[in-house]
Parts: sequence; C-alpha cells; structure tokens
Amino acid sequence: MVEIDNLKFRWQLNQDWVIDIPALTIATGETFYLQGSSGSGKSTLLNLVGGILQPDSGDIRVLGESLSAMTHARRDQFRADHVGFLFQMFNLVPYLSLLENVILPCRFSVRRRQNVLATGRSLEQEALRLLECLGVGESVAVCRKVTELSVGQQQRVAAARALIGAPELIIADEPTSALDSDARENFVQLLFNEVRASSATLLFVSHDPALAGLFDRTVGLRALNRAPAIGA
Amino acid sequence: MFLPQLSWKSLCHRKVTVLLTLVSIAMSVTLLLLVEQIRKDARSSFSAAISGTDLIVGGRTGSVPLLLFSVFHLGNPSNNIGWTTYERIRALPGVKWGIPVSLGDSHKGYRVIGTTTDYFRYFQYGKKQSLAFKEGAAFAGVFELVLGAEVAAKLGYRLGDSIVLSHGAGAVSFAEHSDMPFRVVGILEPTATPVDRSVLVSLQGIEAIHLGWQSGAAKPADVTADDLTMASPRLQPTAITAFYLGLDTRLATFRLQRQINDYRGEPLQAVLPGVALQELWQLVGLAESALLLVTLCVAFTGLLGLLTVLWSGLNERRREMAILRSVGARPLHVFVLLIMESAFITLISLLVGVALFYFILWLLAPVLARDFGFYLTLGGLYESQWYMLLAFSAVGLMVGMIPAWRAYRNSLADGLTVRL
Repeated sequence: MVEIDNLKFRWQLNQDWVIDIPALTIATGETFYLQGSSGSGKSTLLNLVGGILQPDSGDIRVLGESLSAMTHARRDQFRADHVGFLFQMFNLVPYLSLLENVILPCRFSVRRRQNVLATGRSLEQEALRLLECLGVGESVAVCRKVTELSVGQQQRVAAARALIGAPELIIADEPTSALDSDARENFVQLLFNEVRASSATLLFVSHDPALAGLFDRTVGLRALNRAPAIGA
Repeated sequence: MFLPQLSWKSLCHRKVTVLLTLVSIAMSVTLLLLVEQIRKDARSSFSAAISGTDLIVGGRTGSVPLLLFSVFHLGNPSNNIGWTTYERIRALPGVKWGIPVSLGDSHKGYRVIGTTTDYFRYFQYGKKQSLAFKEGAAFAGVFELVLGAEVAAKLGYRLGDSIVLSHGAGAVSFAEHSDMPFRVVGILEPTATPVDRSVLVSLQGIEAIHLGWQSGAAKPADVTADDLTMASPRLQPTAITAFYLGLDTRLATFRLQRQINDYRGEPLQAVLPGVALQELWQLVGLAESALLLVTLCVAFTGLLGLLTVLWSGLNERRREMAILRSVGARPLHVFVLLIMESAFITLISLLVGVALFYFILWLLAPVLARDFGFYLTLGGLYESQWYMLLAFSAVGLMVGMIPAWRAYRNSLADGLTVRL
C-alpha cells in the first residue's frame, strides 16, 4: 500500500535532513503503528506520504503509484480520492453541521461519493451509519452543533469523515492524544473495526507507546529515520 | 455548487464582523451614488430652469448673481432698472418678446414675481416647454395672482382664495401688505423649476401694494378706488428688477448683448443664460470635484475595510483551511472560496447600498425641492452610476483576490497541519 524508498527531506538546502528513511513498506489491510516523540519528524513524514510535501530525493509509492511522478493537481486529486485523514483535535469545520462535516470528503472527491452511492445508501445515510458504528448516536448526530461536542465525540466524527467513501489509506496523526486513557483504547478499537470493515490500511502515528500492542505492526520512527531528531 | 454554499456558511459563522463590514461598504456605495445623483440632478435641474430665453438683462452685477436672482430667485436683486429702459430695449429691432420681472416681495417664504401676462406666453423651461395652467387662467386684474404648483400644493390654496403678500423675501415678515389682499385666479402645472415656487402677480399689483410706501415702510396713503385699476396712471410701473428677452434669430444675440451693455441711459448688463450657467458650473465644479474625491476616499475606505476583515480573518482560519485541505480541497478551492466570500460581501453591500440610496433620496427629495428648489429625480440609475457600481464590484473582487492569494499560498505551505 505504501512503499518508501530512500526518502530524504529537509526544509532548507543548507539544513540537516529531517527525514532520511532508507525503506519502509506498509502492506494492504495492515494496521501500522508509527511511534515517535514530538520533533521526530512525524508530521513531516505524513505530509510526505500525503503528497503535500515533495521529497528532495527518493520515492513514495501509494497504491502502487509514485507520488513524485504526479503533477501537483494530480496529487491533490489522488489524495482526495484515496486517503482519509484524521488529526489530533479541532478536526471539524465549525460552521458546518455534524453530518455536513462527515460528508465533506465526498464533496471534493467524485470517487468517494460514488463509492458511497454504490452501496445503495445516500451520503447522509452512510454518514449516520458510520457515526453509529463509531458510537455517535443519531440523536447526537442530527441535533448537536459541532461546537457543542466533547473532544471524544469530535474525534469520532472526524474518524467517520476519514472513513466515508472507503479511501484505501487512512492516515491518523495523534488522534487519541486529546482523549483520556480509557477512551483511547476504545476509540482505537472502534477505528479498527471500521478500517477492517472497509478493508482499508491504517497508518497511525502517535507518541503514546501504550497503544502499540493493539496494532498489526509497530515501528519506532527513531529506528526508521536516520536523520537526527530535532532538539536531540 | 458546493463551494458557494460553503463560503456562505463560513460568512454566516462570522456574522458580526461580516455584517459590520457590509454596512460600512454599503454606506460608501450609498454615498457614492448620492453624490453622483446630486451632481447630475443639480446640472439638469439648473439647466432646465430656463430655456428659449436668449438674454437676461438686469442692473450691473456679475452674470452669475444676475442669473441666480432673476431665474432661481436666490440671493438679493441688484439695482432696479427703469421701465422706460425696458420699453426702449423691447422695441429694438430683432427683439421678439420681453418679460419684465419685479422681485422684492414674498408670501410665506415664496417669492412674489411681478410681471406681465407675456410671462405665461413666452417663458419656457426644460426642453422649450411652455407654462400651462392646471386651473384658472392668467391674472387680469390688479389684485389677482397665479400660483406655482408647489405653492398651491404646500399651502393648500385653491382658486378664489385670498392671499396677503409680505414685504421682503423672508419666510417670516413683519411688514405685511394686509390692506390689499390678492385673489388666486390661476394655478400652474408643475415644472420642477423655480416657477413652481413662485407667486406671480401683475406689475400693477406690485405697484399697488407699495402705493404710499416710502423707504420700505408703510405710510398712511391717500389711495382711492380709481387708483386701483390696471389702467390707473398711479399703478404704471416705473422700475423693474430684470427682464428676459427672446430674439427673432439667435444670430442677433451677441449684437444685442453688446448694444445693451453699451446702453447710455443707465448701466445695464445682458447675459446669455447658457453662458451664465456655464460660469456657475465652473464655480460649483471645484466643490463638486472635492466632493467626488471625498466620496472616492470613502469608497476606498470601505473596500479597505473588506480587505482588513478578510486578511485578519485568514490567520484564525488557517486551521479551517487545513481541515478543508485534508478532506480533499485543493489550494484552488481555497482560493475560490475566499474570492466568493468577498464577492458575496461586495454584492450584498451593493444591493443594500442601492436600497439605502433610494431610501435617502426618497427622504431628501422633498426637502431639497422645498428649501433649495433642487429637484432630485427618483428614477433609474444614471449611466455613470451603473459604471460606478460596476467599478466598485470589480475593485471589490480584486481586493478579495489579495487575501485569497495569501490563503492559497498558506494552504500550499501549511499542508494539512498547521503549526500554531
């Protein structure tokens, strides 16, 4: 699903490498846990895999397609079609309703919209179904404003949004760090269920080693990245 | 279809800021339109006041003051000129008609004009339109008068009503000619010129109410009933304030003007109404340009406000943009989103501004007409105003591009994560 080959990246020419990863492969359907402390280049790596940053050398292949070979616009479209993102917090657009937030990716990706419609459900029905599976009941989903949700609920809504339209790759950047420890494991389990149900691949990044055991595979970024850690 | 919806919702989310900006832009639009309307209407209203008259003749003064008091009834008349002078010039070859006017009295703030029935025959306004009677007819007797449309409407006078004239031109007068009331015999159709605000009487009428007056004060007079007829020698005019002349051919205008200016009997001045108006514009033009400049500054400030709001909002909205990017919005989407926001604000401001403009026009028009004889037209927008609106929206959109471009750059640089 994701193949990294001799990936190097730095912010400015005369600076040290921030990312220097010789090789990394994430298999399709795998739940992959990348553990790294802050400043280890996690976010940078995710931006590279998401095709937002361009590597200085090396290549990243997602779904067998080389990101460096694509044009800017093509990469944007590719990301919109095939990758679902989930961030730490403040993931939701405050002026949209809860359901509109979940459906948002289908507005920008025809492919994800068609994926939903192919199941015979409307976008709203699919959003409600995903929210239900992630533990957000219909009463909350329909009535509450986004700004009235707890952090835990917000993350579930964000997860539903990442999953809608069945993108092949889900990238999660510290989605649990704002949750308390009981809620974390529960959240990750729910996320797994849905990722597996849509046979997606999960790339999960966190600094929290406690979650490592839940995943198919765990790799420490420190071990992977030859570049010196910032501030280390 | 989705992006306009999204930008609309985003705007609604920031109601207060957006609303304040909207109001300030709308007001600058209103001001812009209003200044232009007044500018245009001032010109047309002034130019429409007199037409078909080739020369205006009065005592020596500037051409602008002569025009102002004789046509617009603004300011105070200069020296009177002798009746014999008028008769002599009226008899010059090439002169087709003459209308003498005698000013100096008023009725409840409206100027009284002493003249002859030739006024109704020859005076023209607008596009060579002649005066017409709505009711009644021209005065025939000494104590008969004709009212302009506005005077009749505002003061509620009808044919047959009795009216007392006042000495002097003020709205409140302490010297009334109450011993000699006049009867309304005619009411004119509205003309949207100073005629509407005039009270027209015969020259004999003017003489009659001043019989026995000396140095502007009433003195017990020895007036008999015989004295108060149109033919009475005591009522024949001796002096008038000014007169209008119509010529057989316009080619004679300059010759006659020179002839009158060189008149030996007394100092006279003849002006061409068009030329005097032109001079008036040159005077007013400077103030006009200054006003327009101020208005442009106001419009500029309004658009600057738009820029400020959008620009300062960008930083708070970086996360919002990053979220949109993470769900698949391309940088171009972000750009379009912001352009749409400024387009919405500009468009709504224009609509509100135009509505406010008509509202103020509606409030202002009667006041200006009453107090200044200035007629605002309550109709469609002038072409120049359309251009202003067009330019305003174009500049509004261009202003919107600045923050949109920055948001575009930001979203390229920030990617999906915002470092705050």
